[in-house]
Amino acid sequence: MEPLNKSYHKRTPGWKLGFGKKLENILGKDGVVSAGDELIAYDADALTGMRIIPMFVVLPKSAAEVSGVLRLCYEENVPFVPRGAGTGLSGGALPAEEGVVISLSRMNRILEVDIQNERVVVEPGVVNINVTKAVSAYSYYYAPDPSSQVACTIGGNVAENSGGVHCLKYGVTTNHVLGLEVVLPGGEIIETGGKTLDRPGYDLTGLVVGSEGLLGIVTKVVLRIVRKPETVKTFLAAFDRIEDAGAAVSGITARGVIPAGLEIMDNLCIRSVEEAVHAGYPVDAGSILLVELDGPAAGVEAEMPIVEEVLRENNAVLIKMAKDARERDLFWKGRKNAFPAMGRVSSHYYVQDGVIPRSKLSEVLGKVEALSREYGLKVANVFHAGDGNLHPLVLYSAANEGESEKAHELAGKILRACVDAGGSITGEHGVGSDKKIYMGEMFAENDLDAMNVVRCSFDPKGLSNPGKVFPTPRTCVEQGHKHYTEHPLQKAGVGELF
Amino acid sequence: MGDSAVLNNLAGIVGGENVISGPEAEAYSVGGVAPRIVLFPGSVEEVAEIMKAASRDSLSVVPMGSNTKRGLGDTVTRADAALSVKRLNRILEHESADLVATAECGMTLAAFQEGLGGKGQFLPVDPPHVGRGATLGGIIASNDSGPERLRYGTTRELLIGMKAVRADGSIFSGGAKVVKNVAGYDLPKLFVGSLGTLGILVEATFRLYPVPEYSRTCIAGFGSLEDSHAAVKSLLNSDLVMTSLEHITPALAEAVSASAGAFMKRGPYHLAVRIANVEKAVRDQVELVNGILARHGAEAHVVEGGDEDSFWSEIREFPGGAAREGRAVCKAGVVINEVPSVFKVIEMLREGGVEALASARAGNGIVMIALHGDNHALASAIDSLRMVAESGGGTLVINDAPYDVKTAAGVWGDLGSGYALMKRIKSGFDPFNILNPGRLV
Repeated sequence: MEPLNKSYHKRTPGWKLGFGKKLENILGKDGVVSAGDELIAYDADALTGMRIIPMFVVLPKSAAEVSGVLRLCYEENVPFVPRGAGTGLSGGALPAEEGVVISLSRMNRILEVDIQNERVVVEPGVVNINVTKAVSAYSYYYAPDPSSQVACTIGGNVAENSGGVHCLKYGVTTNHVLGLEVVLPGGEIIETGGKTLDRPGYDLTGLVVGSEGLLGIVTKVVLRIVRKPETVKTFLAAFDRIEDAGAAVSGITARGVIPAGLEIMDNLCIRSVEEAVHAGYPVDAGSILLVELDGPAAGVEAEMPIVEEVLRENNAVLIKMAKDARERDLFWKGRKNAFPAMGRVSSHYYVQDGVIPRSKLSEVLGKVEALSREYGLKVANVFHAGDGNLHPLVLYSAANEGESEKAHELAGKILRACVDAGGSITGEHGVGSDKKIYMGEMFAENDLDAMNVVRCSFDPKGLSNPGKVFPTPRTCVEQGHKHYTEHPLQKAGVGELF
Repeated sequence: MGDSAVLNNLAGIVGGENVISGPEAEAYSVGGVAPRIVLFPGSVEEVAEIMKAASRDSLSVVPMGSNTKRGLGDTVTRADAALSVKRLNRILEHESADLVATAECGMTLAAFQEGLGGKGQFLPVDPPHVGRGATLGGIIASNDSGPERLRYGTTRELLIGMKAVRADGSIFSGGAKVVKNVAGYDLPKLFVGSLGTLGILVEATFRLYPVPEYSRTCIAGFGSLEDSHAAVKSLLNSDLVMTSLEHITPALAEAVSASAGAFMKRGPYHLAVRIANVEKAVRDQVELVNGILARHGAEAHVVEGGDEDSFWSEIREFPGGAAREGRAVCKAGVVINEVPSVFKVIEMLREGGVEALASARAGNGIVMIALHGDNHALASAIDSLRMVAESGGGTLVINDAPYDVKTAAGVWGDLGSGYALMKRIKSGFDPFNILNPGRLV
């Protein structure tokens, strides 16, 4: 089945000119990008294997401008795709064909810092790390810390429900977003949630977080900030066998310790990272495990011997504790640069994001290794072991014919293994364009149908980031639905009705 | 089909011994509206069959567990059948190494915790009504919580997967059985707090936590509200990791009857701070708490064991059980710094003939309030409280109140600019409006 966005009629040059003029009326000349060479910069996110040049890119500065654009798109049946920093790994910001990209980069103000009530209100274009910077003088921070946090934006984090290396203990984006301003497809501006908790009515905030831009455009975000922990201790442990590192992870949580972070890297990762950032990793180790404990000093001190004991029980060949904040940052710098560092050992890599129950770690890693041998492609493993979120990096060279396809097929089998183990196809990167074909492995028709009810309630015309997340286009023909409009695919007799 | 034949048909799905009808069904009233028949299905498939039949025959269905929160929400406009999932009461999976468990939604929280026992794990929610049989499904559907939410959040944070039956009888799942998952929309979030209006929850998967090995609670009275609130701010802005931080009004402090509360009469406002961790960490933090409280002119009493448990039980349960004339229970949600404004309004209610007991989850801005007075006075007290909550950007909902009070004051307050969208979601999931019609949207 073709993605939805293929179905929109090709627009005539005259129509395009007129539409561009209407956009300029809303945003001003400098708010609209229409030149071909400038549009190319927006043709992909960090999933660079998929590219579409958009018809226009708009750079709104306010919710009112976003609303104007969405109203126009609604009237003219033009699909639109929101975009933050373009760091997403699932093709969530891949433009729609004959569509508009709405870049939120100019909406980058921190609107309010409210330390006493532990809230920060930001526009979506604010870079993740800048929230923590704005509050760190008060001993607070913003907990979700994706590896790309120096570049990625809060709007993108909201769309993807981003995680990070500390979410085992502190949760992911959805646990830290309390309210939103959202422009719905059609242009209506609504507020969901707010600075206070337990607001009555359906949890629209919880629905929009992680909806990958399919439910509208977020123009304001109310965040929860938390106190920095009193003490932080970070261990680096090395193991000969990655299975032992995995068993140590289960052992630690089984002993009642919930570390702030639990990260595993295999030898291939260790070597490339060490070469790239000199994090002090032992390059001969089969794998390393980073364990970070934080909290009140006495609690951390009580947990440290438990962790050390579990590490030894599971055959750790080296246990090193970061001696100061500098060394701790270095340990993490290595981990956070794992993806870019792979560029040194392989011309191309394809990263996946499956999740498995912690207890299945060894089993699934074994399957990954077998698949790697079967396909003759190297797979580097780096993952958030504490919450079972794997990031296998399939290495390949696009120059070798058919290797890219092989890499994707291999990655697909890894996702299947994750689902078979009772897990998920994506823990934090989102489904996007990349993994929609696997949604059917995880969800039954009824499950997808329930999601479609949500989508149709927000976006009856299916204009907001179309062609993403869902494996087959679904139309809004739910019984009793007041906002039914016939979909072009249905009109053409090729769309499926649910 | 005739009217009674339609109900007989529903009864046939679950079998005669799992049906209550006639006058006995009144005990299953919601907001004072008695269902004509009460059904106790024994499987997810039976729930689905009931909903298919109800859809076909346009019968309204009121989902429930033990019906402990029968007063919550607007009065249902129709209640043909009550559907209790109480017989769906098993733990389906518990993988202790993963700190994850799946159970059927009719299971009581108490039975669930017991079922997890022996492995040092628990579901960290502490809502009221647990002793009266509050079920997992009911706690999710009402997003009910207690003082420990400061550390663990509510079911919003803890529910990672779910299965539900839609109005048309179709069965669907949302979320997953792993702690981290972003595939598709977060349907579990939508169902938390949806009060049985979108579907009938039948299975839930939760993230669990290790049971802390040691716990102590520091309780202290203060010379004034200003002092106690200043202490709240100092406690929040410290290195402490508190399980609970409760800010208790003078009237409630006097009403706490447990031995733990015996000394709670000296100051007008009290704070209770619970620390749970390994023993050494608790001892260190209790010292820190006592130091902070002393700096604000209060002397702390440390309680433990049975006294500690019974104290927290009273704080959870003081708003009380079922509605009766002359009392109302409300929940205000405000920002942390606005809690004293709510307390000041509460102080003034006495002049209007209303006695109020209140306790705030001071680190969350949630204030639980029990009001006593005649219906007219109750409604005007709720108006005043809502006004102060909303003027600071917060909300106030009625958890339970006599019908006249609900009607006069309004249960939910302003549902905001998203209300039209909520209605579209409701009509998408339940196009014929047969699930809890009128109770929420």
